[in-house]
Amino acid sequence: MSAMNRLPLYQDLYLIAHDQAGKPLINQPSLSLGLAGAVLLDLALTGRLDITHGRLAVYDRNPIGDMVADSLVPLILRDRTNRDTRFWIRKVAEDIYDRTCGGLVAAGVLTRVTRRRMGVMSQTRYPPTDVAPLVRARSGVRNAVEAVEQPDARCAALCGLVGVLRVEAALHLAQPSGQLVGRLRSIAREYPRPVNEVIGMVETLISEAAVALYR
Amino acid sequence: MQPQENVEQFGYRQELRRGIGLSDLVFYGLIFMVPIAPFAIFGQVYKESHGMPALAYVIGMVALLFTAASYAQMVKAFPLSGSVYNYAGRGIAAPVGFMTGWAILLDYVLVPGLLYLVASIAMNATVPQVPVWAWVIIFVAINTVINLRGIRMTISLTKALITAELVVLGLFLSVGVWALLQGKGRGFNLTPLFNPDTFSWPVVFGAVSIAVLSFLGFDGISMLVEEAKGGSAQVGKAMRLALILAGVLFIVQVWVASLLVPDPAGLLAHGDKNGTAFYDTAAAAGGSWLAHIMSTATAISWGLADTLVAQVAVSRLLYAMARDRQLPSFLARVSVKHSVPANATLFIAALSTVLGVWMSSRKDGVTLLSSLINMGALIAFIVLHVSVIVHYVIRGRSTDLLAHLITPLVGMAILVFVVINANILAQVLGLIWLGVGVLVLAGLYIAGRRPSSAGLAVLEESR
Repeated sequence: MSAMNRLPLYQDLYLIAHDQAGKPLINQPSLSLGLAGAVLLDLALTGRLDITHGRLAVYDRNPIGDMVADSLVPLILRDRTNRDTRFWIRKVAEDIYDRTCGGLVAAGVLTRVTRRRMGVMSQTRYPPTDVAPLVRARSGVRNAVEAVEQPDARCAALCGLVGVLRVEAALHLAQPSGQLVGRLRSIAREYPRPVNEVIGMVETLISEAAVALYR
Repeated sequence: MQPQENVEQFGYRQELRRGIGLSDLVFYGLIFMVPIAPFAIFGQVYKESHGMPALAYVIGMVALLFTAASYAQMVKAFPLSGSVYNYAGRGIAAPVGFMTGWAILLDYVLVPGLLYLVASIAMNATVPQVPVWAWVIIFVAINTVINLRGIRMTISLTKALITAELVVLGLFLSVGVWALLQGKGRGFNLTPLFNPDTFSWPVVFGAVSIAVLSFLGFDGISMLVEEAKGGSAQVGKAMRLALILAGVLFIVQVWVASLLVPDPAGLLAHGDKNGTAFYDTAAAAGGSWLAHIMSTATAISWGLADTLVAQVAVSRLLYAMARDRQLPSFLARVSVKHSVPANATLFIAALSTVLGVWMSSRKDGVTLLSSLINMGALIAFIVLHVSVIVHYVIRGRSTDLLAHLITPLVGMAILVFVVINANILAQVLGLIWLGVGVLVLAGLYIAGRRPSSAGLAVLEESR
């Protein structure tokens, strides 16, 4: 598949982390941290950002053609005091879930479905209009795990994020969960910087959110 | 924010959003302490203090105000969320931090078990058909489901619960004072505060060693230092305020209750074997309806509200120590699906069930558990005072001797006297616990895993 047809990393992650009815497989704050890490990796892997030892710097202001990622670069440039990558993951995580969902709806990948639960409570979900984008998103990760093809940095990042977010069940691979997560993380470790560094930060932030006193 | 309050100078990064004000901090401390906490241990404190529970609470409050002063100093020096474990580790040395964390673990790990037991005894007083051990299992099951689903205390829920507890307390005080005015009990007098016939320092300090349980939790405010709008100064102020507020409420309620105890001689001679002395007093003052309200309020505040807060606090400590590789790493694992520290939650649930059921079969179950918890906390607080002296006077050559030497020394002296006068079994078990801690520490050294105080918010290099 050509890179031109690929969805951004965070949109692929969003599709993998939801079932076919549009229900998220994990808690939304954890998923948002993963999506935010994916946005930063989208920028880093296209040479717009440099992420080293927890700090980030803008290398190239040229847009990459994605509204969410491209709107982040001017924000980072404007805020001269914060160069901490973890700060930006938390910042982007604040609204990334809704923005990702909105972007996928606008692109026709997801559709809005409202129904009533138990005949009373209204519930809105965003299932995919077509399974093809979801299959494409999964296939790269599956191929990497099964060593069908050598993963590039982007694919390794997606593998790592799927492992950290523990949505490996969505890959439908006949492997024990622990073993599969170990394999996904080891693929990401092949790209220590920025892939594994950002994934490590996402993992730490998820753990810290889980033991926060107030949410 | 003052320059010294920048957490980045300690290798950490400012992660938590600063958004909690002074009143929220005080409310957090109060919900952790429980404004009606003395209801559950009133009988024990009454017996141990020889009828002077108000004095035991006054001394407890003064002792812990000194502890709060030392907390304020250490929070200022190290504005990190991570409790006394962090302060001792950084203020003195990492192995001391480990031992302090180990001591406070006794408090944090056992607290949920005690909360469930007390709540179960209170529910058993209202619904005696269901035995205490069954109530323990019911409370643990409810709380574990709530915790594993990721439902947490929110600021608004904290305020609502505090308000409800204060309404219940107000009801007891109103009915109690009205009963005294009607000639019930022994009328207004000073004996709950000072009785020259029974007073002796060892007696009162022995009672303080139990009463101090009601104040535990004020230290939880220090965990919010990274989220507090006013930083460390506000945290110190909130600790003092919460202690004074809780102390005044405790003193007033045990004073009124002491004057209304239906059989003082019997309570002094035989103790409070069923843990229902306060409810019996409420029944004597206003009737069985008041006793039921008091016992139900105790069950809800100890068994649901306080356990929610305690569970998060113990998870944070287990997480911090496990991430520093000082406890088994499985305790640091979280459930991403529900964003909860699932392993720590299940571990504490299992431990609390075993402890609660076991202690419900012992006549001294509440006394034993509370003595052990207090012992762990008191030892940790004593080390905290030492940390202030080492960090500021010995290392920093501070000339502010009042804040950095005299205050911690006085606070430490009071706590040492409380520990000396605590019951023997608690002292023995506390020493055994510390001995085990020394062995674990030695094991860590042998395994090449020397303690290092990274605490919460550890950076990626620890991986």
